[in-house]
Amino acid sequence: MKKQPLFALALVFTSAMTAVTLAQSTETKGTLTIISSLPRTGSANAQTTTIVNGIKLAIAEVNGQVDGWTIAYQDLDDASPQRGNWDGALEAQNANAATKDPSCVAYIGTFNSGAAKMAMPILNRAGIVMVSPANTYPGLTKPGKGEPNEPMVYRPSGKINYFRIVPTDDLQGVQAADWAKQLGAKKVFILHDRELYGKGIADVFQAHAKTISVEVVGFEGTDSKAANYRSLVTKIKAVSPDLVYFGGTTQTNAGQIAKDLRTGGYEGMYMVPDGCFEQAFIEAAGDSNLNDKTYITFGGLPADQLLGRGANFREAYRAKYGGDPEAYAAYGYEAARVVLQAIANAKTMDRAGILAAVAATRDFDGVLGKWSFDANGDTSSQVLSGQTVTNGKFAFVKVLGG
Amino acid sequence: MRWRPGPIVCILGIAAVLPLIELFLPQPAHVSEAVRGVFLYAILALGLNVVTGYAGLLNLGIAAFMAIGAYAFAILTCEIYPFQIGFWPGLLLTLPVGALAGFLLGAPTLRLRGDYLAIVTLGFGEIVQDVLKNLDVVTKGTQGINPVPAPSLGGTMWTAEDEYKWYYLLLALLIVVILAIRNLERSRLGRAWFSIREDELASRSMGIRVERIKMLAFSAAAAIAAFAGGLSTSVLSSTGEPSNYDFQVSILALCIVIVGGIGSIVGVLVGALVMIGLNSIVLVKATAVLETMGIGGQSNVLLSPNNWKYLIFGLALVLAVRLKPHGLVPPRIERRAT
Amino acid sequence: MQDYEVFLQQLITGLSNGMIIALVALGYTMVYGIIELINFAHGDVFMLGAFLALTLLGALGMEAWPSHWQLAGVAIMLLASAGFCGCLNWSLDRVAYRPLRRASKLSLLVSAIGCSFICTNLGLFWGGMPMEVFAGGVAAAAPKDFPQLIPQFNILGESAIRIVPADVAVLVVTVPLMIALVYLVKRTRLGRAMRAVAQDATAAALMGIPVDRVIGITFFIGGALGGFASVVYALYNNTIGFQMGYRAGMDAFTAAVLGGIGSLPGAVLGGLTIGCVRAMSDQYVETRWTNTIVFGILILILIFRPSGLLGSTRREKV
Repeated sequence: MKKQPLFALALVFTSAMTAVTLAQSTETKGTLTIISSLPRTGSANAQTTTIVNGIKLAIAEVNGQVDGWTIAYQDLDDASPQRGNWDGALEAQNANAATKDPSCVAYIGTFNSGAAKMAMPILNRAGIVMVSPANTYPGLTKPGKGEPNEPMVYRPSGKINYFRIVPTDDLQGVQAADWAKQLGAKKVFILHDRELYGKGIADVFQAHAKTISVEVVGFEGTDSKAANYRSLVTKIKAVSPDLVYFGGTTQTNAGQIAKDLRTGGYEGMYMVPDGCFEQAFIEAAGDSNLNDKTYITFGGLPADQLLGRGANFREAYRAKYGGDPEAYAAYGYEAARVVLQAIANAKTMDRAGILAAVAATRDFDGVLGKWSFDANGDTSSQVLSGQTVTNGKFAFVKVLGG
Repeated sequence: MRWRPGPIVCILGIAAVLPLIELFLPQPAHVSEAVRGVFLYAILALGLNVVTGYAGLLNLGIAAFMAIGAYAFAILTCEIYPFQIGFWPGLLLTLPVGALAGFLLGAPTLRLRGDYLAIVTLGFGEIVQDVLKNLDVVTKGTQGINPVPAPSLGGTMWTAEDEYKWYYLLLALLIVVILAIRNLERSRLGRAWFSIREDELASRSMGIRVERIKMLAFSAAAAIAAFAGGLSTSVLSSTGEPSNYDFQVSILALCIVIVGGIGSIVGVLVGALVMIGLNSIVLVKATAVLETMGIGGQSNVLLSPNNWKYLIFGLALVLAVRLKPHGLVPPRIERRAT
Repeated sequence: MQDYEVFLQQLITGLSNGMIIALVALGYTMVYGIIELINFAHGDVFMLGAFLALTLLGALGMEAWPSHWQLAGVAIMLLASAGFCGCLNWSLDRVAYRPLRRASKLSLLVSAIGCSFICTNLGLFWGGMPMEVFAGGVAAAAPKDFPQLIPQFNILGESAIRIVPADVAVLVVTVPLMIALVYLVKRTRLGRAMRAVAQDATAAALMGIPVDRVIGITFFIGGALGGFASVVYALYNNTIGFQMGYRAGMDAFTAAVLGGIGSLPGAVLGGLTIGCVRAMSDQYVETRWTNTIVFGILILILIFRPSGLLGSTRREKV
């Protein structure tokens, strides 16, 4: 047999890792670990980085200590390089790693609702509290909004351990359609990226648009890897809608669609959900293509409308990472703070105690306003806000619903 | 070719005792869970190895058959569909479903030459993904189908926490697949595959019915891939979304086969271990270690270990074929030739 | 818009997109023609070319230039990206492919896949460059806006059919390049050497042709075409991102095969076909089925013409 350098390399690597791992095991007894599982490789990286920053900021604010307990944080990746996107096997692996780590008391994640479906039953059986900063698929928590067997299928133990701090698509889609009507749209053309999030919110938008007698002149799933959407824009222009709604995210090409709408000579309005409420969307679209005719809905208030805590958060984030926080940073920060507060309030310092404390979160004074978790594990905050884009910045327009 | 069981038995033997070793480690390492991914990819790659390694037909869409198996299995067993035939019948049915899909694609296209066939399989992979996404009435689109039942045998159930039960189940099924392929390889059919790979014209003139033989390789590979798909669905209890079976998966399976040693079962096992091990064990653990050491200031793209994964994976591929162009463990038949 | 206007508009869009695909496909088909390698890294080399163009644009502050100077800026980007992609492609051949000339085709393929991963990752790093045009490099993975150096107005004035200068620019860049390429391959000494190597590398070597150098030059030219294409793509779509190489590569590869891999006119025809099929499917079917239709047509055409539209139906050597 010839030498096998790859093996040798792997061997060296593994032994080095073991050494480091062993070195770590000399920690004090009082460590509680928060694990986050987010897609850190590939296209969602831009947003998840801001979420992780938010989590780290929240932990740093308490100097990594709550009541004498050391708070450790682990940033796990549920995306694999060969997929460039979330990977079910890795998500399950992360969730199982959390259940096996005796110090792990909370799991912040996931980013994608599809990934949450994998992690939820595993964490549920282990009784670890899971707080999602980004899942908006209603079926994860709300009976009757998804498949008939949802959400009970995610709760094999029968108890609720999954909470989310973002309003779900069924709220946002409805508010978006109402707002579109208020803006004077009589005919809308609806696009969606065919993903769980984008399709879900577009479906809600379409259903509600019909009930408030806004005419839906088209409903199409797009190809999020396409180089451009010029032919689609021609098709849209041929039926002359007043507003184009795109259920999708920056990653699924919301920016390119905005661009091609303008290049193609479409002059109506363009509306997108909170998956596009990030500076990266403006940068990808080019601000001149968005100015004053683009509307973005968002579950919560934008950072610059926040008073008190929200304003402090904005300043702290700016000081630590430079640049303004994205909407997602606030979600990550809020999720971590909910967990940290629960640790402080927990009657027993174990998974069950902390789970109970998270579930008991009431009138939480967070950066997204004052809110509580309801019986399903959803946030009580139903405040959505509408934004537009002016001179390359998001500009708050109004509060939607209430 | 005399069968020397040596290396395969060694690898499987190590695999069999790995969880025991893990139990005695001072710090839990949780490697065995990640090794399940190695087993699943090994089954997929063994399937690909039949068509690409034995019969010499480049297939860039093996993930499509995996997807077909996964969705067939889920639809046949999940509680939201009327069939609910149970784990074992469902898993067995993925084999004929996969073979049929392979036949339907292969029948009109197998006479295409080399890389033209490759692009047909690639295109088929894209079509399957789109169809699964768009026919959401049947497939639930990007929601994925869940929950998919776990196996049960004589009263014992497999749940997600039963790490070692799953481990040994997958290992056992991998062994079954290896035995089946081993038998195929040594059969008349296996020899016919080798012969058309080496020289199609000569085989034809020797009376081998090339089209039929190719068809069988294509269908067998599709069936094994579908089996892997059904199995992975059960492990995760969900099909995930259709893009979980995209081109990248086909490419990874191909890399496993070629880096490991095309046409060699041991090679494929080693390839799966190295590639998936690098991907979901070494890189994952290394990143975690680096993160806890405080490396990963997110402000700079270069400082985040996660951002290096593609690069390391790519370098590993380039280096592997550069240093071992015939694979880490080439099949004996090629060794003899050189 | 009248029905015929919609059709014509879609045809224009399809042809413009098709031209860009064709330009990338030419790089594929040249490399394939000479060493039978599906160069998976080609799409990513193309992607890096676009990143270089954006970097230059930012470094030289082209957005602030007066408009006629911006045309010169476009020329600078075209040449720089072409040179860069050419050299990059040449280096990939030198480092990752040439040592495998005697190995099996599949090892070569895996090497190309590896290079593709490496280039994708380099694109991610590049996106994190702290420059204004990369939005300060804060979100490395996010798509980047490529400023519109070419004005956006309808050349046809008030007509319902829109032809923007970008459509014209695509034509102005790609057609001369294609003509030059055909001339190079058919009429020059170098072109003859390329064809000789493609036909039979051993025989070519015996005739005194420096095979490795000819292959290297082919990689350079293929890469350079990708470089030109990347700038045209960026100006036409105004967005670039580190993952754009995947789709561009996939489309181009499909185009090359559809036209008959190894055939230059075939690659162009394949590219135009795919561009038009995409546009028509978006209009008359549904966008979500477009990929299925493209690949379905590809499979159908290959069933009836197993070597593509214009591929040579040469029999395999006995």
